Parts: sequence; C-alpha cells; structure tokens
Amino acid sequence: MIVLQNVTKVYPNGTRALDDVSLQIDEREFVFLVGPSGAGKTTLIRLINRDTSPDSGNVFVENTDVTRISRREVPKLRRRVGVIYQDYKLLPGLSVRQNVEFVLKSTGEFNGRTSKWVDEALALVQLSDRADHHPHELSGGEQQRTAIARAIVRRCPILVADEPTGNLDHATSWDTIQLLVRINALGATVLMATHNREIVNTMRRRVIEIANGKVVRDELGGGYDG
Amino acid sequence: MTAKLNVLRYVLGAAMLGLWRNRTMTLGAVVTTAVMLVTLAAFLAINDTLNEMVTALGRKSNLIAYVRDDARPSRVTEIMQDLEQRPGVGEVVFVTKEDALRIFQERFFDQRDVIDILQANPLPASVELRMDDPAVLPALADELRGMTGVFESVAVPLDVVERLVSISNVSRAAGTAMIVALTAVALFVIANTIRIAVYARRQEIEIMKLVGATDWFVRGPFIIEGAFIGLVGATLAAVALVVMYLQVAPTITRIISFLPIATDVSFVRNLAVFIVLVGLVVGSIGSYVSVRRYLAV
Ligand SMILES: Nc1ncnc2c1ncn2[C@@H]1O[C@H](COP(=O)(O)OP(=O)(O)O)[C@@H](O)[C@H]1O
Ligand SMILES: [Mg+2]
Repeated sequence: MIVLQNVTKVYPNGTRALDDVSLQIDEREFVFLVGPSGAGKTTLIRLINRDTSPDSGNVFVENTDVTRISRREVPKLRRRVGVIYQDYKLLPGLSVRQNVEFVLKSTGEFNGRTSKWVDEALALVQLSDRADHHPHELSGGEQQRTAIARAIVRRCPILVADEPTGNLDHATSWDTIQLLVRINALGATVLMATHNREIVNTMRRRVIEIANGKVVRDELGGGYDG
Repeated sequence: MTAKLNVLRYVLGAAMLGLWRNRTMTLGAVVTTAVMLVTLAAFLAINDTLNEMVTALGRKSNLIAYVRDDARPSRVTEIMQDLEQRPGVGEVVFVTKEDALRIFQERFFDQRDVIDILQANPLPASVELRMDDPAVLPALADELRGMTGVFESVAVPLDVVERLVSISNVSRAAGTAMIVALTAVALFVIANTIRIAVYARRQEIEIMKLVGATDWFVRGPFIIEGAFIGLVGATLAAVALVVMYLQVAPTITRIISFLPIATDVSFVRNLAVFIVLVGLVVGSIGSYVSVRRYLAV
C-alpha cells in the first residue's frame, strides 16, 4: 500500500531529513511512526502525498510511484490519502461542517450524495451537535476531531496523522486514538506519527522508529522504546 | 454533467465572493480598465475620422500626368493597365487631346477665340488617376515623372494630403503609445488586485491543493475575477462611448460640418463590441499572470 525504497530527502538548506529510508506498509495496517522531534516524521508524511519530493529513492502509494507522477496526477493521489496535520489547518472563517464540506467542494464533488458523507464523518467523530460552530469556539480535542472528519470524509483508503495527540491532554488523546483505531477497523490503512510513549506502549501495534532520518527499528507489536 | 455544473457553480461563486470581499480594489481596477478603454475608443474614433478626411480629400485630388504628343499610344495603354493594378489607385482615365479641348472650352467658353487664334489644339492628352489611398501619391508621381519619354509633366495637388497624412501618422503613433501605456497600467492594476485576492485566500488555497483540488480548480475563480473586472470596466466604457456618440457627435457635426465623423450605428456598435472584447482579454491576461506568479499552481 505504501512502500519507500532507499528514500533520501535533503532540504535546500542542507538538512538531511531522511537518509536512505526503506519501509513497507500493507493494506489495513495500523502503524506508529515514532522518533524524537526533528527525526523526519513530518517529512516522511509529506512524501506520501507528494507535498514534497525525495532527492533519491522511490515512494509507492497503491503501486504508483508518486515521485514520477506528473503535476496533473497529484490531485488524484491526494484524493486517496487523507492527512491530519499537526496544526490541523482548519479554516477559521468556516464552521465545522463547512470545513469538512470544503474537501468535497475543492474537488467539485459536493452534492446530495456526498453531503451524506459529511453527516457520517461528523457523526463518527461525534461532532454532529457542534457542526455549526467555528474553530475558535471549539476545544483542542474538538478541533482535532474536525480535522479527522475532514481527512476521512472522502473515505480515503489511506489515513495519515501527524502527531494528532501532540497538543491534547491525556483523556482527549485516548479518545483520538480510539477514533483512529475505529477508522482502521472500518478498512483504512493508518499511519500515525507520534511522540506519545504511553499510547504506543499500550496499543502494541507495529512501530517504525526513525532517528536522524534513518529507520532504526521496525517492530510488530512494539513499544515506544523497543 | 452535474459534476461539471457543480464545478462551474463553485468557480463562479468563489469568484463573485472574492470580488465582493475585495470590493475597493475591485472598483479601482474596474475604473482603471474603463478609463483605459474609453481612451482606446476615443483614439480609434479620432483615428477613423482622420482616415476618413484623408480618404475624402484624396478622392478629390487626382494625379494628372500629361502625355507627350509623340508618345506611342500602345505604351500609354500599357502604363494605364499597369496603374490600374496598383494598390491605392481607384480609377484610371485617359483624356484625349480633343476631350481636353472640349473640357477647356466648356469651362472657359468666353475665351473660345483664343483657340481660334492658335489654330491648333495646344492641350496635351492626359492620364488621370483617382486615388483610394492618397498616401501612395508621392511615390507614384515620382515614378511617372521618371518616364520622360511618355509624360510631359505630372501634376499632384499634394500639400493638403501630405499634411493630413502626416497628422494622421503622428496621431496614430501618439495614440498607440498612449494605449500601450494605459493597457500596461490596467494590466498592472488587475494583476495587483488578483495578487491581493490570492494573498487573502492563501490558507484556503493551501488546503485546496492539499486535499486534491486540480490546478484549474484553484486558478479558475481568480481568472474569472480578472475577466469579470475587465468585462465590467469594458461595459462601463462601452456605455460611456454610446452616450458620447448620441450626445456629442451630432453637435460636433452640426458645428463643423466638414468633419467626416463616423456617426453611423454600425461603427459605434463595432467599436463597443471591440472594447468589450479588449476588456475581457486584458482582464483574463492580467489575472492569469498574477495567478501563475503568486499561486504557484
Ligand atoms: N521545509 C524545511 N526546510 C528545511 N529544513 C526542514 C524543513 N522541514 C523540516 N526540516 C528539517 O528536517 C528535519 C526533519 O524535520 P521533520 O520531518 O519536521 O521532523 P519531525 O516531524 O520528526 O519533527 C529537521 O531537522 C527539520 O529542521
Ligand atoms: Mg513533525
């Protein structure tokens, strides 16, 4: 489903964010991507939806080498990969519902049928009763769930979350994890970058650890520290 | 089909919303475009009037080449056939010695005695040209003067025509320079308006791109905004133009009746349509440039 082959990414300022990274994530897997701040987690996520390109190596998503697709094919890729950003990237001028609808409107796919998808996504993240609130009227956890609803509304087969619990308290973090697990159970492949030691240790899922841009551990049912 | 309509509705809706949010700039850009286009229209009208004058005067002023008595008639016929093919030449007429005399006598029949006294016909035959484009007169006259074996002399009422042609050339050059400058200003103002619109919506744009919007879906509203500014500016200009023609042109024609100002409906209509098209094109180009530059899509 997601395959990286000898991927190296050096930013223009010379930072070697990823160094010869290879890994494979299969369909319907749930994978934690762990490592200290600056390890290269966000960079790896950005490679998957062609938000950036590697200097060498290949990135396959659903058997397509996304480093080789043309500009015009990028939207097609991004419609298959839902991303939850560390800073949520919600539009402050839009309500919760409008933020979720925005995904479908951006691709000209918003209609009577897909507007039901919006209801379903909001129900799944338990925000139906907050649908008309604006982001600044929401708690951190609610904003996070809005971002999740937005990432799943198109029913993407791949869901990528960049430190989704980074700014949340203990209880809210667990709610978020439960939500991602449920989405995974519904059929999505989930890749979640995180710092959260407790969650990784408790969940016992596959753990890929990177440090200084290199994969240092890839363990099924692993804990945070191996 | 419904998907396409959806896209169209989104693109148009987003464009109108963007224009409204940014209404001060929008208004400024519309007014600039309108001013540019009114100037363009005025220039085209003045230019047309000058051209009309040149043509009208040119038609009246023939070139007359007096044929030598000993010129071979077949050679003269040959030259006349050649002249008829030349661009700018309207009509070529041969006036025989007898015709010349008759015309002379008709015009000055008081002096019929003079001819009687002379006993012979002193008037030469001539080739007379009626011009479509007087601008080619000087060169043509020189060419005919060079044929000394055929023509005695060549007469051209040049002065007025030449002066008019040069005025019209100067006006064309000045007008063109002004139009180029004003178009540049309009392009700049529209591009800048769109740049600000892009900046105001940079967050939306970023997310649209990240969730899989196509380049054209992101660009579309901005290009439509620019085209719309051009269109509204052009419509204002066209309305001003029509009002001006209805109010002003008849008055001018009454006062200075010899000015061949084009007052006919089809001229004004064509000019209005042309202006609207120019507005649309300038608006679209201005926004496209800005979108390419600042949107990075
Ligand atoms: N756009 C960028 N330009 C230059 N350096 C960057 C950029 N983004 C990230 N980096 C650097 O690349 C390294 C990896 O960053 P990142 O992938 O964000 O790590 P993580 O998400 O694991 O904290 C860091 O040293 C960071 O400073
Ligand atoms: Mg990061």
